[in-house]
Amino acid sequence: MMLARVADSLYWMGRYIERAEHVSRLSDVMLTASLDATGDAPRAARTALGASEDIDEGKTAVDVALGLILDREDPGSVIVSVARARENARQVRDQITSETWERLNLLFLRITSPDAKRQFDQRAVTFLHEVISDLHLFKGAVDSTMSHGEGWRFLMLGIYLERAQLIARLLDASFGEAAQGSPLSDHLSQMGLLRMACALEPYLRVYTADIQPRLIQEFLLFNEDFPRSIRFSTARIEEHLRALAGHGNVQASGAPERLAGRLSSRLHFADLEETATSGAGGLLATVSQDCGRIHEAIYGAFVAYPLEQHLPT
Amino acid sequence: MNDRDPLDRPLSAAYRPGVAYDEMYDKDASVRAHYAALQSRISTLGAGELADRQKTLEQSFLLQGITFTVYGAETSTEQIIPTDLFPRIIPAAEWAKIEAGLSQRLQALNLFLADIYGDQIILKDGVVPRDLVLGAPAYRREMQGLYVPHKAYANVCGSDLIRNEAGEFVVLEDNLRVPSGVSYMLANRDAAKRTFPGTYRTSGVRSIERYPDMLLATLKSLAAEWRPNPQVVVLTPGVYNSAYYEHAYLARLMGAPLVEGRDLVVHDNLVYMRTTVGLKRVDVIYRRVDDDYIDHLTFRRDSALGAAGLFNAYRAGNVVIANAPGAGVADDKAVYAYVPEIIRYYLDQEPILSNVETYLCREQKQLGYVLDNLDRLVIKAVGASGGYGMLVGPHASAQERSDFAQQLKADPSNYIAQPTIQLSTAPCLVDGAIEPRHVDLRPFILCGDKIVVTPGALTRVALKRGSLVVNSSQGGGSKDTWVLTGENETAAAGDLPA
Repeated sequence: MMLARVADSLYWMGRYIERAEHVSRLSDVMLTASLDATGDAPRAARTALGASEDIDEGKTAVDVALGLILDREDPGSVIVSVARARENARQVRDQITSETWERLNLLFLRITSPDAKRQFDQRAVTFLHEVISDLHLFKGAVDSTMSHGEGWRFLMLGIYLERAQLIARLLDASFGEAAQGSPLSDHLSQMGLLRMACALEPYLRVYTADIQPRLIQEFLLFNEDFPRSIRFSTARIEEHLRALAGHGNVQASGAPERLAGRLSSRLHFADLEETATSGAGGLLATVSQDCGRIHEAIYGAFVAYPLEQHLPT
Repeated sequence: MNDRDPLDRPLSAAYRPGVAYDEMYDKDASVRAHYAALQSRISTLGAGELADRQKTLEQSFLLQGITFTVYGAETSTEQIIPTDLFPRIIPAAEWAKIEAGLSQRLQALNLFLADIYGDQIILKDGVVPRDLVLGAPAYRREMQGLYVPHKAYANVCGSDLIRNEAGEFVVLEDNLRVPSGVSYMLANRDAAKRTFPGTYRTSGVRSIERYPDMLLATLKSLAAEWRPNPQVVVLTPGVYNSAYYEHAYLARLMGAPLVEGRDLVVHDNLVYMRTTVGLKRVDVIYRRVDDDYIDHLTFRRDSALGAAGLFNAYRAGNVVIANAPGAGVADDKAVYAYVPEIIRYYLDQEPILSNVETYLCREQKQLGYVLDNLDRLVIKAVGASGGYGMLVGPHASAQERSDFAQQLKADPSNYIAQPTIQLSTAPCLVDGAIEPRHVDLRPFILCGDKIVVTPGALTRVALKRGSLVVNSSQGGGSKDTWVLTGENETAAAGDLPA
């Protein structure tokens, strides 16, 4: 049992943290890839980030990355995500451990410091690696110091729902409809894509250096062990929702759990042979839509439920 | 600059206490016995080492988020409440008097509140003027005749004490509404233990770490009669309140939910909070929201910080609000002048701690005296707090004084005056040098089924040289306060019961 508002804040804290990490990593890969004049990875990254129009404005990769990291006006930027995660953390300061709070606060102070822009200008990639490693330390503190009870599960739900949607969007930008008929084809770009999903090394261990669009999609969609695959994420979403149902009102939380179960089994039984005919696009769209429905169902069940149902009569 | 032994030559250019009582040095410039250990430790540290420790201390406050937000034109920045690394030390014998005096005072003030909101016998006896009490801004007519558990209206009290030129502790103000600062007391202690671990260990400092669980026990005792295991919550105005850090801190250390008004639902005079599994009954609300804002159906209509119907639930006896609404009438600055009489009236005892001499401007004769002596007095508005609405006569210009005199004459009953007291000074690290700064003392007293004085306090510091205003809203800082167990006593003696 916890305050509905607190559950909401923990959930959003998870989403913003995941978003900050994803955007940092995409910016990092985009910057590194832009050093090699060839390859489509930067374009895919921009598409996935909704920043493709910047190309038309003739902005360099560094300009784009600077905006993605430090632009306080851009709602999707890392600085805004970190600030919002921290704002949510402050709202629930009594619910998270000091270790968790201090990790996030440290990152916030680093990225909002007046010195941040100078540091980024001087050594952008190092700066991004530090941000990403701060986020990993934060997640480590969450895992190793917070009780793995209800509050922690809401935080994890936020992380995995955000992750499933972000990976789906990244795959769509690389191979799906958002690629607008020019899917990533060269080896370098495909390696870049795996890096953006933090998946290069785990991929190589499964498939060796044989990098192919079909295998990449198989890995990021269906791998059961890789923590950023969509199947892994949805399995966690289902698991956390099932556990949350066990904390109290089973009836109310049935809806999100059922939706997550449906998405999870769809991913379990789907494979690329099946989607090959219609392309992965259909499946990716389903993932995106279902994540949106689960999000709404979580609200309906735990946060913004009608009071009338619960008043004593 | 002398980089070694900054305190080697007391009362030299490095440290010049002035006319006020100094906490560390006596009149002959010798170190007071209870400061000897600290002084000798400080004198082994160079200026560079002290600056490093101060910086570490500030970093740790920043990291923990013990900050307030300064909103600028484009960005907002986080600033810490200035904190000083040298603890202020109080010997056991002096503390024993403070402790007894504060207990006595709170006991009398709660009896006064029970009387005022009951039969009003003290008013009938003419000990305190009726209009002064019933006309006080903090008086709440709605509280008249309500049942209050243990007759404890003020459950958390943070009194402001000062030490005058003669070295005597006197009470400057009683804070019975929503006193804050206890989290700084605890954070300062954490920091002091890291800054001077050896000195702390050997000095025999009384522990304050049990404040949160004593607070919880106090709050639970308020509902013990009718709920076996009451649900306690902390009510905060929200994350933008300047004391939000403290609200979250206390909630976390008590293990109580930190709720906002929007989390509460009142139905059939019962209070609930919205949880992930539906509505859960709330029994005790430690509110950090002012009276006016707890229920817009009963008090201010423009408020969204409380919960609609909360006061009716309280009136029905289904929830406890701590401190009780209306408790502030007993810390009104004009009522303050009568506290010694109040103690004598209810307890038949002489006050252990004195008041500061106070002139009530509502009395024609006293107003005349105040107007003639504006340059020597501190004038305070009765309803204001936090260092606002006051004139420090000796530090004001002739123009400021004559402006204030006009305000005084226009509404005399809104003002009181007190002589300008040179608050005692304590050593502080200011811009790399050790200098005397004026300090006060805010101990915290709990009152549920019994009264508990926490053996420690927040020492507030006026950081500007010569300034007598310690409020954090006016550029004040704070430092840790060590209450000693006394010679031959074990560190745990006299501490809170296990």
